[in-house]
Amino acid sequence: MITFTKVSKSYTPNSAALDDVTLNIPTGDFVSVVGQSGAGKSTLLKILSAEERPTAGNVVIDGWDITRIKKWQVPHLRRQIGVVFQDFKLLPKRTVFENVAFAMEVGGAIPKEIKNTVPHILKLVNLVNKADEYPTKLSGGEKQRVAIARALAYKPQILLADEPTGNLDALHSWDIVQLLIKINKLGTTVLLATHNDDIVNALKKRVVTLNGGKVVSDQQGGTYKL
Amino acid sequence: MVGISLARIFKAALQNFWRNIWLSVATAAIMVITLLMISFLYFANIFGGQVLHSIQEKVDLSVTFKEDVQEQYIQAVANELETRQDVEKVTVITSDQALESFKSRHTDDPLIEESLGELENNPLPASIFILATEPRFYENIAKQLESDKYTPFIDSVNYEGSSTVIDRLIALIASVKNVGTVITIVFALLAVLIMFNTVRLAIYSFREEIDIMRLVGASRWFIQGPFIIESVIVSLFAVIISTAILYPVLNTIAPHLQRFFFDAQSSPFNIYDYAVTHWARVIGLQVGAAVGLAIISSMIAIRRYLRD
Ligand SMILES: Nc1ncnc2c1ncn2[C@@H]1O[C@H](COP(=O)(O)OP(=O)(O)O)[C@@H](O)[C@H]1O
Ligand SMILES: [Mg+2]
Repeated sequence: MITFTKVSKSYTPNSAALDDVTLNIPTGDFVSVVGQSGAGKSTLLKILSAEERPTAGNVVIDGWDITRIKKWQVPHLRRQIGVVFQDFKLLPKRTVFENVAFAMEVGGAIPKEIKNTVPHILKLVNLVNKADEYPTKLSGGEKQRVAIARALAYKPQILLADEPTGNLDALHSWDIVQLLIKINKLGTTVLLATHNDDIVNALKKRVVTLNGGKVVSDQQGGTYKL
Repeated sequence: MVGISLARIFKAALQNFWRNIWLSVATAAIMVITLLMISFLYFANIFGGQVLHSIQEKVDLSVTFKEDVQEQYIQAVANELETRQDVEKVTVITSDQALESFKSRHTDDPLIEESLGELENNPLPASIFILATEPRFYENIAKQLESDKYTPFIDSVNYEGSSTVIDRLIALIASVKNVGTVITIVFALLAVLIMFNTVRLAIYSFREEIDIMRLVGASRWFIQGPFIIESVIVSLFAVIISTAILYPVLNTIAPHLQRFFFDAQSSPFNIYDYAVTHWARVIGLQVGAAVGLAIISSMIAIRRYLRD
């Protein structure tokens, strides 16, 4: 369970990227966060991964108040939260397998564990046959699937996807969304920030709409409307 | 888990080291010069101290008594001097002892032996030799002996004028130390600067990895460790090279220094032997300096360029 209580965030004194946001996200939920560019979607996700601190309010994940989390606790938080971005953020000098393994190495996994786990994850994202390729040889959709595989490497409870389809064509976008649904069905809470209306409308899941940092609508089976 | 992470940190450090091998070598070179300077200072200090000591041992203050002065009186003066804080040792040479030693020094000289035999009285005066704890004290001790109380009995107070030599030597050692310290500091700063830049470049070339490490929850130590360890590896590498230069050089110059500074001593000080017996101190000093500089410079670079 993730709760935002009256969360505000200002990067500069006279403007609010998030303004008095209150949200409850039960474990296992699939939430699309929509809104125009600059509405505060990324800021909302960044507060969850402690990349940004709220200016006011509280954020609690499974009883853990991360609002004023200590620096040294941040890595612990991040190992429970997978993140995926529009620009993939893969390491070009490492293969698909190594990119996924990298996240496990960071978490202190032993080589045997890595050798056993990575193929499973690659199978989940349907990239087993690309394990030894370098990212430059992959299509955008494949790159994003590698990024998702890496985010899943240490079995996070929450997956944050910030415009994961922003660089992809419709077909590949749909591919990625299907994958997110699959991951959600396996028990992971998914937050998807997007401004792709086709996807949101087809998902028929919960939709939280932001505008100017405020939650303007929050609907189950919602649609994209501004 | 800690073990495997440590292994990965070391592996990453070695990768950094090889990835920037030429930079690593250049950094190590500057570090080697710094370490050699530090070692030079260290040995100059030790050696100067030894030379000073050996010269000080040769200097003394001697008092010659008038011919008919009683032995008891001489002994009393010696005892009096011995109570002084600045006096290390007082040796009494009676006129008999003086004659004995004179004779023994000239046993092969029949002419002298003959002329000695012709003498009725012992012509050699009694004397005492005074060794001060430090050369600068001789003047005061001499003053005491020149006071009115003693003048009727004392023939002369002989103060070997080597004090100027000693003063000059002390001044020389001090200036070698000063110049050496300045040069050492300059090179140490240079080493820090270059190492700082090496780490900065390494951080720059790893910025993508670092971003992703953060993203996936790498601990601070996991991210920063490789950079610190890399600079420690470079500095230990420098210690090996500087030691490999230092010992052969000491071995080569030791006999020359020995001949030049310690003539005719039974066991002259040998700087190479000293370095061999005190190897732990010599290497420890270098490791301490090198690792210290490495950690300082990499920490500064990390604080500036790896802010989280
Ligand atoms: N690091 C930052 N510094 C200053 N302003 C920022 C920063 N990040 C975002 N903002 C501002 O905060 C607002 C919300 O941004 P963001 O959360 O990125 O929106 P979205 O992801 O919906 O496009 C925007 O007005 C943006 O300009
Ligand atoms: Mg955004």
